[in-house]
Amino acid sequence: MCTIAAVEAILVTMILGIHFEIGEKVIKIGSNPTLLLRHVNDAPIFANADYLSLIKGRGLNPLLQNYWMTIHPPTLFLGFASTVVPFAYAIAGLWYNDHKAWLRPAMGWSLFSAGILGTGILMGSFWAYEALSFGGYWAWDPVENASLVPWITLVAGIHTHLIAQNTGYAKKSLYFFYLISFILILYSTFLTRSGVLGDTSAHAFTEMGLEWQLVFLMAFFTFMGFGLWAYRFRSMDHPEKEESLYSREFWMFIGALVLMFSAVLITASTSLPVFNKIMDWFSPGYIGKVIQDPIPHYNKYQMWIGVFVAILSSKSLFLRYRNTDLQSIQKKLLKKFSIYTLVSLILTWFCSKWIELYSWQYYILCFSGLFAMIANTDYIISYLKGSLKAGASAIAHAGFGMMLVGILASGLNKTPISSNPFVFQGMFTKEDLARYVQLIRGKPLYSKGYFITYEGDTLVDRTRTYTIKFQKLNDSMEVIDEMTLHPNAVYSNDFTKVAAFNPDTRHYLDKDIFTCVVGLPPALQNIEEAKAIEDSLKFNTYTFQKGDTVALAKAKLIFEGVSYTPRHDEYLKNTHDSGIAFRLKVIPNDADTIYHIETALGIDGALLYKYPESIEDLGLRIQPDENLIRDFFTPDDQLEYEDITIKNFGSTTWQGYTFKLTGFNKDPEHKNYKNEENDIAIAAELSISDSEGHQFTVKPIYIIRENIPMSIKDYVAEEGLHIRFSNIDPGTETFTFKVAKDKRSFDTIKLAIAEDVPRTDYLILEASVFPGINLFWGGSILMMIGLFLAMWVRWYTGGVRPK
Amino acid sequence: MGGIENHKYAFDSNIKTMLNKNTIIALLLITAGIVVFITASRDVSTYSTFADAAGGERTKIVGTLAKNKPMTYDPENDPNTFRFFMTDSKGTEKEVILQKPKPQDFELSEQIVVTGKMQNESFVADEILMKCPSKYKDEEIAIKEQQ
Repeated sequence: MCTIAAVEAILVTMILGIHFEIGEKVIKIGSNPTLLLRHVNDAPIFANADYLSLIKGRGLNPLLQNYWMTIHPPTLFLGFASTVVPFAYAIAGLWYNDHKAWLRPAMGWSLFSAGILGTGILMGSFWAYEALSFGGYWAWDPVENASLVPWITLVAGIHTHLIAQNTGYAKKSLYFFYLISFILILYSTFLTRSGVLGDTSAHAFTEMGLEWQLVFLMAFFTFMGFGLWAYRFRSMDHPEKEESLYSREFWMFIGALVLMFSAVLITASTSLPVFNKIMDWFSPGYIGKVIQDPIPHYNKYQMWIGVFVAILSSKSLFLRYRNTDLQSIQKKLLKKFSIYTLVSLILTWFCSKWIELYSWQYYILCFSGLFAMIANTDYIISYLKGSLKAGASAIAHAGFGMMLVGILASGLNKTPISSNPFVFQGMFTKEDLARYVQLIRGKPLYSKGYFITYEGDTLVDRTRTYTIKFQKLNDSMEVIDEMTLHPNAVYSNDFTKVAAFNPDTRHYLDKDIFTCVVGLPPALQNIEEAKAIEDSLKFNTYTFQKGDTVALAKAKLIFEGVSYTPRHDEYLKNTHDSGIAFRLKVIPNDADTIYHIETALGIDGALLYKYPESIEDLGLRIQPDENLIRDFFTPDDQLEYEDITIKNFGSTTWQGYTFKLTGFNKDPEHKNYKNEENDIAIAAELSISDSEGHQFTVKPIYIIRENIPMSIKDYVAEEGLHIRFSNIDPGTETFTFKVAKDKRSFDTIKLAIAEDVPRTDYLILEASVFPGINLFWGGSILMMIGLFLAMWVRWYTGGVRPK
Repeated sequence: MGGIENHKYAFDSNIKTMLNKNTIIALLLITAGIVVFITASRDVSTYSTFADAAGGERTKIVGTLAKNKPMTYDPENDPNTFRFFMTDSKGTEKEVILQKPKPQDFELSEQIVVTGKMQNESFVADEILMKCPSKYKDEEIAIKEQQ
C-alpha cells in the first residue's frame, strides 16, 4: 500500500506539474508576465532602457502602503495556489480509480492549504481594520466573499476527508469538495480580475483582457474534474451500511453540508453581477439585479450557519467513528451536555449584560458560540487529558465559537463614540449614521461618556498626524481613563490634495477604540479648493489711526500700535532683514474672550512677506496692506546717506543720535557675508543712543576683497536707522560711516479684513468602540492554530487520534 | 488506518430506516434551500431610477454626477450631510442628500450608486459607491501626451 501511495505521490506531482503548465500556458496567451512596459508601449520615453529614472510617479496609493498589505497578498496567493494540491490528489484518485491511497498523503496538504488561505483572509481583514477607514474587519465585499467561499468548501472537504479516511464514507462528497474548492479559486480569480464586479465592490479591479482565458481555465477544470467524477461515480464504493445516527461521521457530514449550504448562499449572492451579465447576453437590455443592503443580507443567513456549525462541531467530537456505544456513555454525555448548556446559558446572560444582543436570534448565536467554546475546551481537558496535539480539531472548533461571540460583540455592538445631533430625525433607523463629528482644535467635545479633544497636528514629510485626546468619564463626570490617538492624513506626492486618511486604534484587552479622520476643511484637503476659497474671500480695507476702533459684524477691532519685533508664529519661522507688526485688540460682541493679535510684514532682501492673522471663532482674517511697507521702510537706493566720522573709540552725534565706537571684530559673521581667502573684513561695534536714552548696538562690516572696498550695512528697525561702514583711514585712525534714516511719514495704516472666513481649525472625526474584538481575532487565530496543529500532526507524527 | 471491512453490517436490519434518514436530510436541505432562496430574493432588486423611487421605498440608484449643479458640503455646520445633484440612467436630475461626509475624489467619479429613499423632492441616501477612472489608464494618457 505504501508503494502505491508513493507511486501515486509521484504521479500526482507529475499531474500537478502539468496542471501548472497548462495554467501558465493559458495565462501566457493573455499576458506574458515577463514583458516589460517598454515592450508594450511604443513611446519615445521607453527608448531609453533606464526610463524609470525619467519618471517621477505619484507613488503607490497610501492606503496600500502598509505592512499588512505587503504580507497579506502573498499569503493569500500561497493559500490560493496550494488548493491545487488536494485538487491534484483528487484528480489522481479519480484517474486511477483508487479512492483510498491518496487520502493519507493528501491530508496534511489540505490542512496546510486551509491554514494558509485562512491566515491570508484574516490578514486581509486585519489590514482592512487597521489601515482602512471604513471601520471594520469584514464587509461582505465580493472580493472578500470570493476568498472565503473556497476556504469554506475546503474546510468541508477536510471534514469529508476525515470521514473517508476513517470510515470509507463520503468519498463522493470529498471529491466534490476538493474539486469545487479549486474551481472556486479560479472563479474567485475570475470575479476579481475580470472587472465584472465593478458596480458592487469597493475594490476597483480593471478589466485586463484575461476574462476569456479565465473562463476557459475554469471550464476546462470543471469539465475535467466533474467529468472524471461522474465517470467514476459508481465505482466510489462505500460501506453498504449507512452511517449511524450516533456516529461522528454522520454529524461531520451534516456539518460539511451546512458549510456547503453557506458556500452556495454566499456564492449565489456574490455572483449576481455575473448572472446579470449572462442574462444580458441572452436578452440584451436585461435590467441587472442587485442586493439592496448586502451586509444585513449576508449576516441574516450566515448567522444560522454559525449556529449549526458551532453546535455540530461541539457534539460531534464526543461521538466516535462508525458507531458510538451509546449505552455506556449515555449518562455521562447527558450530564456533560446539560452542564455545558447550563453554563452557556448563564454566560449568555452575562454576555447580554456586557453587550447588547437586540433579538432572540442573537441570543441563540451567542449561546451556540459559548457552547462550542465550553464543550470543546472540556473535551480537550477531560477526554484528551490536555493533549493539545490530539486536540487540533477541538481547538479549531472552540476558536470558531469564540469567533462567533467576538463577531457578536464587536460587530453588533460597534458603537460610535462620536455622535452628532444633526442627523435627520427618524429618517433612518440606523444609529450609526450620525457617527461623524466636527472637532474644533482645542475645544473638547462631550459625547457618549467621553471628552474628545483635537489637540493639534504635526506635518512630517507628507503625513499630517493628528493628536486626539479621549477622556473617559464616569457617571459623576470624573476622568477615569485617558488616551491619545494619532490618526493621520497623507498628502499626495505633489502635495496638492489629501490622498488618504489612516485610522488609529487603541487596543484594550476587552475592546478597541478606533478613530479615523474622515474629513478636513476643504482648504486643507485640496489645493484647488484652497485657492478657490482664498479667491472668494472679500477683503475690505479699513484705515486705522492708533487707538481707533472699527466695528465689524461680530467684533470690535482696536488698533493698538506698531511693533518692529513681530511675534507672529509664522514670522518667527523665517529669517528677515526687518519686519513690522500691527497689534490689534479684538473684542467679540457675544463673548468674554479678548484677543490680542498681530499681523505682520517681513522683508528679506527684495522679498516681502505678508503674515495674515485669523480668528477662527469669529471667521476673521486680517492682513496688512502691502503698500504699508513703503511707509515704514525706505528702499536702499532712495535713502539719503550722510557721512559721519568717528575717531577710535570716540563718539559723534547725528540728528539727535549719539554714535559711540566701542570696538572692532576682525572675524565678523553675517548671513549675507561669506568669508573668502584674502578678504579683509572688519566689523565696527557702534553703540547708538537716542535723546530718550534708548540704546541700540549695530555691527556694520567693512570688507576689502581684491582691493575693492565693500560694506554690509546694519539696521535699527525701531528707529529706521541704516548704518554703513564706508572707510578706514589708518593714518589718522578715523573711521567713516554712512548713516541714513527711513522716511516714516505715516498717520494712518491700512488693514485688509475679510469676514465670514471658513474655519480651518477643525476635522471631521469618526470614533467607535469595538467591544470584545479580541475574541474575534483570538477565535479566528485559534482556528488557524487548530488547522496548523492538525497539519503538523499529520506530517511529523504519523497521525495521532484520540481514543 | 480506517479500513472498510464492515461486511458484518451489510445486512443490518436498520438499512431501510437509514435510507429514509438520508432522504429526510436531502428533503430538509432542499426545503431550507427553497425557503432561503425565496426570502433572499426579497433582498434583491434592480438598480432603479428616481422615477421608480418616487414611492418612497428603499432603492439603489445608478447615475452620474451632475457637474454643472452645485455641490454643498458644509462640515462646519453639519459634517453628516453632503448634497449634490445626480443624473440617473433615464436622464432625470435630482438632488441627493448623502448622510455622510463628502467622499474623497468625488468630482472624479464616473459613476455613482446611492442607496436610500425619496424624501420630498430629494433622494436621501446613506450608502454611496463610486466608480473612479483607473489611475493607471490615466497615467498612460499622461505619458502619451508628453511626447
